[in-house]
Amino acid sequence: MSRLAEEFLIAAAQKSADLTHRATIKRNVDSYDTAVAKGKLRFADWEAARTYAARVKGEAVSNLAPLLEEFERKIVARGGHVYWAETADDARQYICDVARKNNVKTVVKSKSMVTEEIHLLPALEKLGIKVWETDLGELIVQLRNEPPYHIVTPAMHLTREQIRDLFQQKLPDDMNGESHQELVAAARRFLRRAFFAAEMGISGANFLVADAGMVAISTNEGNGRLTTSLPRVHVVVTGIEKVIPRLEDLGVLWPVLATSGTGQPITTYSTLIGGPRAEGEVDGPEEFHVVLLDNGRTEVLADEEQQELLRCIRCGACLNKCPVYRSVGGHAFNTTYPGPIGSALTPIVNGMKDWGHLSYACSLCTACDSVCPVKIKLSGHLLENRRKYVSEGDAKTSEKVGFSVFRWATAGPRRFALLGWFGRKITRAALAIGMSPHALGPLASWTKYRAMPDVPKDSFRALWEKNDGNF
Amino acid sequence: MATSNAGRERILARIRKARGHEASAAGAAEAIFPLIPDPMQRFLAECEANLTRVHRAVSNVQSAAILSQIVSELPAGAIYVEDDPVLRRLCVSIEERKILLSSEGRAPEDCVATLTLCDGLVAQTGSILTSSRHGGRGGSIVAPTHIVYATTDQLLPDVTSALRLAARDTERASYIGLISGSSRTADIEKILVQGAHGPVRVDIILEQR
Repeated sequence: MSRLAEEFLIAAAQKSADLTHRATIKRNVDSYDTAVAKGKLRFADWEAARTYAARVKGEAVSNLAPLLEEFERKIVARGGHVYWAETADDARQYICDVARKNNVKTVVKSKSMVTEEIHLLPALEKLGIKVWETDLGELIVQLRNEPPYHIVTPAMHLTREQIRDLFQQKLPDDMNGESHQELVAAARRFLRRAFFAAEMGISGANFLVADAGMVAISTNEGNGRLTTSLPRVHVVVTGIEKVIPRLEDLGVLWPVLATSGTGQPITTYSTLIGGPRAEGEVDGPEEFHVVLLDNGRTEVLADEEQQELLRCIRCGACLNKCPVYRSVGGHAFNTTYPGPIGSALTPIVNGMKDWGHLSYACSLCTACDSVCPVKIKLSGHLLENRRKYVSEGDAKTSEKVGFSVFRWATAGPRRFALLGWFGRKITRAALAIGMSPHALGPLASWTKYRAMPDVPKDSFRALWEKNDGNF
Repeated sequence: MATSNAGRERILARIRKARGHEASAAGAAEAIFPLIPDPMQRFLAECEANLTRVHRAVSNVQSAAILSQIVSELPAGAIYVEDDPVLRRLCVSIEERKILLSSEGRAPEDCVATLTLCDGLVAQTGSILTSSRHGGRGGSIVAPTHIVYATTDQLLPDVTSALRLAARDTERASYIGLISGSSRTADIEKILVQGAHGPVRVDIILEQR
């Protein structure tokens, strides 16, 4: 087992046993479920909306090259710069160069998982540049020196009391009470100074619209608007898979994203930005850069089976629905993108040997498939990853042997009966001589938190025949 | 600027090498949302739900009076106004206030409210379609109160119609946006709080046309 797999199991076990954590997540997710159920009622046909969204994103994934070129052409025509970054290092280097050339001292950043992916903040801070997260949830986890817990709700794991204590310690001058309203007001006071002082704003993108040549950014707080309006330089960092063909597609994608993300009809600020301040405009940045990031995305694209993962619009619905995510939390995964989408993508992009274990952080309940607004069959991808992990990765010999025996036994009823008979004999004998169930292979994990039931003498088939089907 | 085209060509080559699935355009979106039989009624209901205040007026004089009423409820401080003849006329009703016109520069950090026009109103979501031509990018986000002057003939049925209208503007405006209520967050325990960073309050003066 790899070190990362062991760490995952330890972190997952700890978090699963943390009842305060479970209660916090349950409260958040229950509230989310209620909002989303209500939000879906606003559609005449939610399934038709999913089909539409899946087709738009599927069309885009199949035509990435011409769409990205069209997007680039329009941005450049408006005076913007487009940089194609092959790796996280390339992207970091470019953004650091832009910051250095503009003598940037302070950066405000709107929420972006891609900046987490490329570890941008440490690189800028190494240059002596102060970066402030401006999404409230992101600011909270930044002040705690933690990565985001969730791709939409970064501080989902924290209670108001924990946030109050944090602000009292880190933002004492801006604190004026401890209600939800007063905590938000404290962050507003604190960040307002940052917005007006910053020379550079960094944002992600929810969509890149090819025919309009504009970047679409959705935020409820308006931090995205301020980040992209006030500083002299605006840099967008985004994955190449975010491109969509037409502006009109947002007529469905914006409501679908908002409904799946938070249950809203549409995000409060649904914004399109096409370049720096245009002639005749009173404000806006003087420089505008878009960094188009590959960083393994073309590897996902090259895999014909799994390229549909690039349809993901990062709404977080699969995380909220996943029973494993709801138990072990976002940090146990130790990845930029946690939950089902992260477990499917990370091993392909970062290596099956180190990350293949995440494909097993799944009960195959398929809840993620049913909620994905772009109809990605996540459970199928997790199974596909498991297959690759066994053939290419670090699967244990005992697991390989175990599944070979299981495959042999399930190929015929006699073999299956024989395996059952043998299993019952061995287990009963082992327990009779006082062996602990913890020592018995697959029973070890199961009996860690549960009592071992009595092992019957007879098989289910024998009991069925004996009782004539009556139990 | 370090615009390395080597990376560009390599990324595009890898994309072209990958075999995309056959995919067709998504087709019409009409069946996805319910029909909106009365767009004005829907607009007003959506605005109420997203906490935008709509003040209806039947004349320019009444709009000016409403503006005066809204401004009287605000704390002391300057009002930033998009420089447009219609809005200049409306501002006669608030001449006791310090008015800063967008033709003089960007919206300052300490203005208490901004007054702008908009490109359209969206019934489906109770949204305001705006762009950088209306008081700049800051005109709709910097102050704690954003006041929008609109007319009933600007009402559009849905987001798709708004995007079709916006498509005509993409060459002229560097920013286009739909604003659906005041700035808000639910990042602390999913409790909704208004006024996270942008306007705490959004008022629309909606004049009959």
